[in-house]
Amino acid sequence: MSHNAYLPKLGRIAAIKDEVPGNRAIKTYQIEFVSGDGFEHDCGQCAMISVFGKGESMISIASAPHVTGYKQFSIMKTGRVTTALHDLNVGDIVGVRGPYGNKFPVKDWKGKNLVFIGGGVGLAPIWPVIQTALHHKGSYGKVSVFYGGRTSRDLMYKADLDKMREQADIHLSVDAKEDGWKEFVGFVPSNVKDKAPSPDNAIAITCGPPIMIKFVIQNLKELGFTDDNIYTTIENKMKCGIGKCGRCNVGKDYVCVNGPVYSWAALKELPPEY
Amino acid sequence: MTKTMAMEKMLNKADLAAWMGKLETHQLFAPMLEDEGVWNYAPVVKAADVALDQPNTVRPPKDFVFPQRETLYRFEQVRGEAPVLTETLPDPQPSVVFGVRPCDSRGLVRQDIVFTKEFDDPYFQGRRAKTIFVGQACKVPPSPNCFCNSVGGSPSSEDGLDLLMTELDGKYHVKAVTQRGADLLAKGGALFKEASASDKAAVAKAHESAKAHPQRPIKELGKVAGALKQNFDSKAWDEMAKACIGCGICTFLCPTCHCFDINDEVTCSSPCKGERVRTWDTCQFPDFTMHTSGHNPRETLGSRLRQRVCHKFQYFTENHDMPQCTGCGRCISLCPVGIDIVSVVERLGQP
Repeated sequence: MSHNAYLPKLGRIAAIKDEVPGNRAIKTYQIEFVSGDGFEHDCGQCAMISVFGKGESMISIASAPHVTGYKQFSIMKTGRVTTALHDLNVGDIVGVRGPYGNKFPVKDWKGKNLVFIGGGVGLAPIWPVIQTALHHKGSYGKVSVFYGGRTSRDLMYKADLDKMREQADIHLSVDAKEDGWKEFVGFVPSNVKDKAPSPDNAIAITCGPPIMIKFVIQNLKELGFTDDNIYTTIENKMKCGIGKCGRCNVGKDYVCVNGPVYSWAALKELPPEY
Repeated sequence: MTKTMAMEKMLNKADLAAWMGKLETHQLFAPMLEDEGVWNYAPVVKAADVALDQPNTVRPPKDFVFPQRETLYRFEQVRGEAPVLTETLPDPQPSVVFGVRPCDSRGLVRQDIVFTKEFDDPYFQGRRAKTIFVGQACKVPPSPNCFCNSVGGSPSSEDGLDLLMTELDGKYHVKAVTQRGADLLAKGGALFKEASASDKAAVAKAHESAKAHPQRPIKELGKVAGALKQNFDSKAWDEMAKACIGCGICTFLCPTCHCFDINDEVTCSSPCKGERVRTWDTCQFPDFTMHTSGHNPRETLGSRLRQRVCHKFQYFTENHDMPQCTGCGRCISLCPVGIDIVSVVERLGQP
């Protein structure tokens, strides 16, 4: 019998960074495995993080596969487990099991222009792909990143995005006008439409609130992106992460095993139950 | 389980207790009358009291391999320190479950698929390896809502069983399906006589006559998945689910349903001590799919009825080429408001 998939490995919180303040605060955690018996992951995969006594939550791994030594998770304070995580300190020990799910087919995208479109905490699941594309700069074409939040305070990874401007086109947006904001004002899909990235030899990768994804896809299609060149990730409630508990079942798929990454061509074949 | 050479023996009904007496290395279970009209599996206290031709049990035998509540591991953590995790893998006494109806053993086959594909489930597999299932072929449908014939099964199906017993005029015909079934049979020694050609002919006839009993029909099983797909957006789902009170009995007592919840049960807050526990759960509860944000992909009763029916007759079929329903009829008989999966399939699952 192989390793017990339900039993987590232990991870130590090595660093915590406040990204977004407020009721739905976002913090970024770097978690290193306590006994060095961690796991490798691919872009798009997730891990179950345990706070013992509270439960487990499925969280996207936000660090790129080439980053070793720790896994990064950006977590919004929303429910019981994520609230408990927000109360933890550097040095505290959590459980980590994974990696779970499929992956972005980044190897197939070599030589292509990559258009990333994120909203809010939805930048985290596509962040490892951005990092991978920039790490192997010569292998990919032009990289552009569209990213927006309700206000400028709701944007995460701000310093990293600023540093990235030398290597990629960064298009930030906030939903409503605010003092001192020099970039786009409006929703993320409108910013995409406004800048009109070319669909030629390009792949669009999007993640954010469901309503944002819906209009992003609509606008990408208007720009000429085909269904199989648009990728997104979906989420559903999960308990086991290994295709058994049934929670994340959508049509013939279990999102924890067959997802979370889908091309729009594949996703539109599933019932809209996510 | 590995299939073995067909071994067919005869046992006098009066010798069943004597055979059970020779199985002292195993804990024995059989259907027992629990309450008026309620049969359920219980440990065999007096082998002479065991009668195998009773109506089917209210609870399917899935409890033996997938209990309603199961501890995955214990944890104990002083804040800021590493927790101690204690794995609680099952190590049950080997057991034999008698009187398992073929619909229920076919339910085990479907659970085997779920609990072994992609990732092993050591809790399920640990119990499965220690539990021998002895089937009881049905002479007549034990319930008016039986429909095993309509979903690819039969009253004498051997799928998922280790032994199949068929009652024949004061005797049992006992067929070994797996090696461990054959080993169990061998423990009976001289109690068993070789089945003669006429015994074999009689058992074949009994199986045939059982199969000929009328059951609830699903006319074109092969076309159900496609028709359900076509009817995903039908208004009939809401209509048929209107009376549903969301109790979940249709899934809890289903021999194939495998969904579960995982929760931490805390017994002490400092140090934080408790157990991570899994319990049966159901797609019929609204919070089964509700996201933390409040968004719920299956908000309505109709969408949850659709999930139950489509998972059984479309999604599972698309993945594994068999419906995840074995026709036991429990979800029909026990639904407090009369929702009937056969009628639903008839209405939305036929071309």
